Amino acid sequence: MSDLSVLLKGKIGNFFLNFEHHFKNDGITILYGPNGSGKTTIVSALGGFIKNIEIRIIFNGNELHNIDKYPSYKRPFGIMFQNPILFEHLSVEENLDFVIKRHQLKTPNKSLISKEYLINNLELNSLLKRSPENLSGGEKLRVVLARTILKQPNYLLLDEPMSDLDIKYKSKLLVFLKGFNKKFKTPILYITHSIEEISQIGDQIVLIKDGEKIDSGSVSKILNRSSFVDLTGKFESSSILEGVVSRQDQNLHMTTLDLSGQKLVVPGLPGNLNDIVRVRIRSRDILLSSSRLKTQITENELQGLISSIEIENNSAFSELVIVLKSFKSKRKKQTLRVRMTTYNLKKMKLSINDSVFIYISSVSIDRQAYQSK
Amino acid sequence: MDFFYHLSSDFTAILITLKLAIVTCLFLALIGTPLAYFLAFKSKNTKPFIETLVTLPLVLPPTVIGFYLIVFLSPETILGKIFILLTGEQLIFSFYGLVLASIIYSLPFWVQPLQASFEKIGRDTIRTSYSLGAGPLDTFLNVIIPLCKKGFFTSFIISFAHTLGEFGIVLMVGGGIHGKTKVIAISIYDHVEQLSFGKAHILAGGMLILSFIILLTLFYFNKRTVVRVK
Repeated sequence: MSDLSVLLKGKIGNFFLNFEHHFKNDGITILYGPNGSGKTTIVSALGGFIKNIEIRIIFNGNELHNIDKYPSYKRPFGIMFQNPILFEHLSVEENLDFVIKRHQLKTPNKSLISKEYLINNLELNSLLKRSPENLSGGEKLRVVLARTILKQPNYLLLDEPMSDLDIKYKSKLLVFLKGFNKKFKTPILYITHSIEEISQIGDQIVLIKDGEKIDSGSVSKILNRSSFVDLTGKFESSSILEGVVSRQDQNLHMTTLDLSGQKLVVPGLPGNLNDIVRVRIRSRDILLSSSRLKTQITENELQGLISSIEIENNSAFSELVIVLKSFKSKRKKQTLRVRMTTYNLKKMKLSINDSVFIYISSVSIDRQAYQSK
Repeated sequence: MDFFYHLSSDFTAILITLKLAIVTCLFLALIGTPLAYFLAFKSKNTKPFIETLVTLPLVLPPTVIGFYLIVFLSPETILGKIFILLTGEQLIFSFYGLVLASIIYSLPFWVQPLQASFEKIGRDTIRTSYSLGAGPLDTFLNVIIPLCKKGFFTSFIISFAHTLGEFGIVLMVGGGIHGKTKVIAISIYDHVEQLSFGKAHILAGGMLILSFIILLTLFYFNKRTVVRVK
């Protein structure tokens, strides 16, 4: 398992960075925080492009902060910068060969990831002979990603790679990244401020604000925590639920997930039978009722227990945390954040430890990422 | 006989001028390129100061530069002694004195286009190259030079043309010695002074056509690249 410990401390311009984290996994770690929180600076520091602050980077036992021994061109990272650059004097294929040549000079016969694998999976075949000048944004991104991976890095650092990409493309690339990570076990640090991307590919997440780490842990845990809600703002508040695929309706394109004995129907056909699928549900898209409704209004009816109520000051809203009832004791308890007006909360006379019925329309469930097990 | 003497004398001046321009450009490539790189990427606080120094020859009268060169590189000074050690001659009235003067005089013409070209490709390109495992020299040779071809070409053409056209500083430092430091510009001046307008015409016309062709090549090339970029 790869082991990356990072300590960055010091002033850069008017910005004070005080970041410390121990990345210890082979999955995908999300670095999440608002603009100007220091995410890009962390990547730059890992790449060896930042000086004059206290830096300690230890990667698999090597002291990378020793810049004489590990200048930026000798570090084992594959970095995709926020504004990725292709060398315009070289064709797409020559851009790929640029890094292949240099890697082979240093470590001959040690290329795990082949050019063909990337050409096929990132659909680069028709681009190879072209000049980078006339590639579209999405094409350019795929080429840069392929070139970064061809360095055969021991850690992949991606700085908001999909920020200006349309959704159709995005989910394709996210699926590729997830598959790549699974296949080659190259850990990925993925910077983003899109919640969709987090829930689709993240395993671990590190929250950062004003140059400091404020929380870290597994994505499903952190996304339900108040530290995350504080960062995103209440309106974007959401929860992640994990369920096991128990049924797939090929005709109607619906998948039924089992959440500890409760059923959640989601659109699309993610994963295969018995895979674990993760979905994100926005807090404002959930309806509550203290008794079971007699007519069906949504596909999903879940049962839970109110574990906390937070009435916001100077606002019309309240936020509730609900623990889903588990009908199979061995599975861990899952929580949902629900947002409603305080007006409705008072009218419904809800209080802590009340049993509630939860109604979720499948339409409002985000396109989900799946993890096979 | 006299006519042929003058012709060969002018021919020598042409050769000296071309040799001066080529040697100056070689030295500028060695000195001006790292300077442009430094100004584009490395200097922070020192940048305005160094930029001012590099640009000064553009605004100073050539006689001022010539004067200080003669003063500070006279054989009695340390710099003058170093110069003699390197070239075997003293600065004044020597070919390498002309070269040194030309380097200083044409320095802004080499540094500025190249610096702009380096700044255009930017730090991010260099970082990208480093992050892909290419070291500084590798990056310079295989990324920066090919990407800045246009900048190098512009620097070379303009510095070359500018060195061809020097007058004041070469007269002051070189003294216009026939066969040694007399360049075309000085030959023309001599011809006009002696009222040999015919000979002046040949050289002046030649310079006009040559400079025109050089600049036309430059602008034609640059225009084409602009279109290509779009």
